Amino acid sequence: MKKKFFTWVAIALVAALVVYNSVYFKKLSEVKASSLAKQFDPKLYARNFWNKLLPVADTAIKIATLKRSLLTNPDSTFDACSHALGIGNIRYILVKGEGPVKAVYEDEVAISILADSSKKPVRLATEYIFGNAVRDASGILNVSDFTNSMDFNNVSVEINKIIRAEVLPAFKANIKSGVTVAFVGAIELNRKHPNLDDIEVIPVRLKIIKP
Amino acid sequence: MKNNIRTILLLLVVIAAGACKNGANTKSKKVAVIVSTLNNPWFVVLAETAAAKAKELGYETKIFDSQNNTALESDHFENAIASGYNAVLFNPTDADGSVANVLKAKAAGVPVFCMDREVNAPDAATSQILADSYTGCVALGKYFVEKMNKKGKYVEILGLVGDNNTWNRSKGFHSVVDMYPNLQMVAQQSADFDRNKGMEVLESILQAHPDIEGVFCGNDAMAMGAYQALVAAGKSKQVKVFGFDGAEDAIQSIKDGNMVATGMQFPKVMAETAAIFADEYFKGRRDFPKKIPVAVEMVTSKNIADYTGYGKK
Repeated sequence: MKKKFFTWVAIALVAALVVYNSVYFKKLSEVKASSLAKQFDPKLYARNFWNKLLPVADTAIKIATLKRSLLTNPDSTFDACSHALGIGNIRYILVKGEGPVKAVYEDEVAISILADSSKKPVRLATEYIFGNAVRDASGILNVSDFTNSMDFNNVSVEINKIIRAEVLPAFKANIKSGVTVAFVGAIELNRKHPNLDDIEVIPVRLKIIKP
Repeated sequence: MKNNIRTILLLLVVIAAGACKNGANTKSKKVAVIVSTLNNPWFVVLAETAAAKAKELGYETKIFDSQNNTALESDHFENAIASGYNAVLFNPTDADGSVANVLKAKAAGVPVFCMDREVNAPDAATSQILADSYTGCVALGKYFVEKMNKKGKYVEILGLVGDNNTWNRSKGFHSVVDMYPNLQMVAQQSADFDRNKGMEVLESILQAHPDIEGVFCGNDAMAMGAYQALVAAGKSKQVKVFGFDGAEDAIQSIKDGNMVATGMQFPKVMAETAAIFADEYFKGRRDFPKKIPVAVEMVTSKNIADYTGYGKK
């Protein structure tokens, strides 16, 4: 009888131990906070990227030099200057240049590049700031560092927001035909069919150097 | 001494025979191409290119059509594994629903290379070669805003709701278009990437919204169906149609001035890359990137001369 009693007590103790170790109680607010902490923050990531991009921007190739080089040695120029994160013909390049504003349109500003013998103005985007040109042109980021491709796309969205909020407003307020501007920006070129007469620059840094 | 030499020679013969057998094995391997549907010419090109490339590399191949049905796809995987196929070049039917099939192959030691569509499991497939749908649709969204002059009513026709590409395309498009409040989406409906359904969906939407000015479709088949509905309603000049894929009839339609634009996503590049990866896997490579984006190029009347159906000239 006594033996049976101890057996039952032992079983009850083991069962209590198993149940105790199987169930945990946590505050809902704590669980929510920890899952939020694990979530990717594209805004913060974009800000850190932007801080790294600005020093790299100084190393951008002059757009007139790039165009000359693409005409003479397209393959080696694309290999040396452009970046892309997958397979395909779309390549991104960080460029800089300066020249007088030829015309100001609703969505863009046409700039004649002083050192460019082709005399074809580049289009500096002031309205349509979209896509991955700035993110990918620098070559700083690697797609393999992101487990989710949507996170990677959202980094571009946030970078473009920074450009719209911090780079463009002062420039747009003071821009007019005839002023001379210096710019650093990102361009997209199709490696197989590069159209050097119609280049759109997504701005990274803008300065009016001669009002 | 003589015995030792004889043993060494015997061992060398055995090793050489083994090496020959391995070489023969590589050549006698079989590659299965399992594709979501063969009811759409774009996927026919994808499947046939993958099979042709694998055959060119020396492997026996067979194409399996899942008919957009995950249960049938599951049967194909079981058959392929049981029949001794050594790799699967795979175009999934459903990003979540197809994961179990890929895991089944993985458990059987059969590598799976996804083409165009992804599965929602980072470590299931050996590698996923995917069109960068989101970025392609950002470019299309920008062009859509320009062509619509930043205002007007429009319709979005979605693909299969279980496919990630459907949402990557939609999100890319809306990341641009939603910034323009005068562009009003009056309807958003799925037509399963199917031409006939695309036509039926737009026909019914036009009853309620005859004043739309734009239609954005998640693929070219639906865009061609939508265009047919617009022709029947006498509105083909009033409504601008945008697609995605780079299918042959869509390229011709842009050339003829009917459709406005599409996103060329190079099915042949994706299919050939998958077949080459399978070949490299058989030869011992294991360090494949989990995902490779393939750039999508926007095709419009401005650059149509550079393109042909499913690729560049």
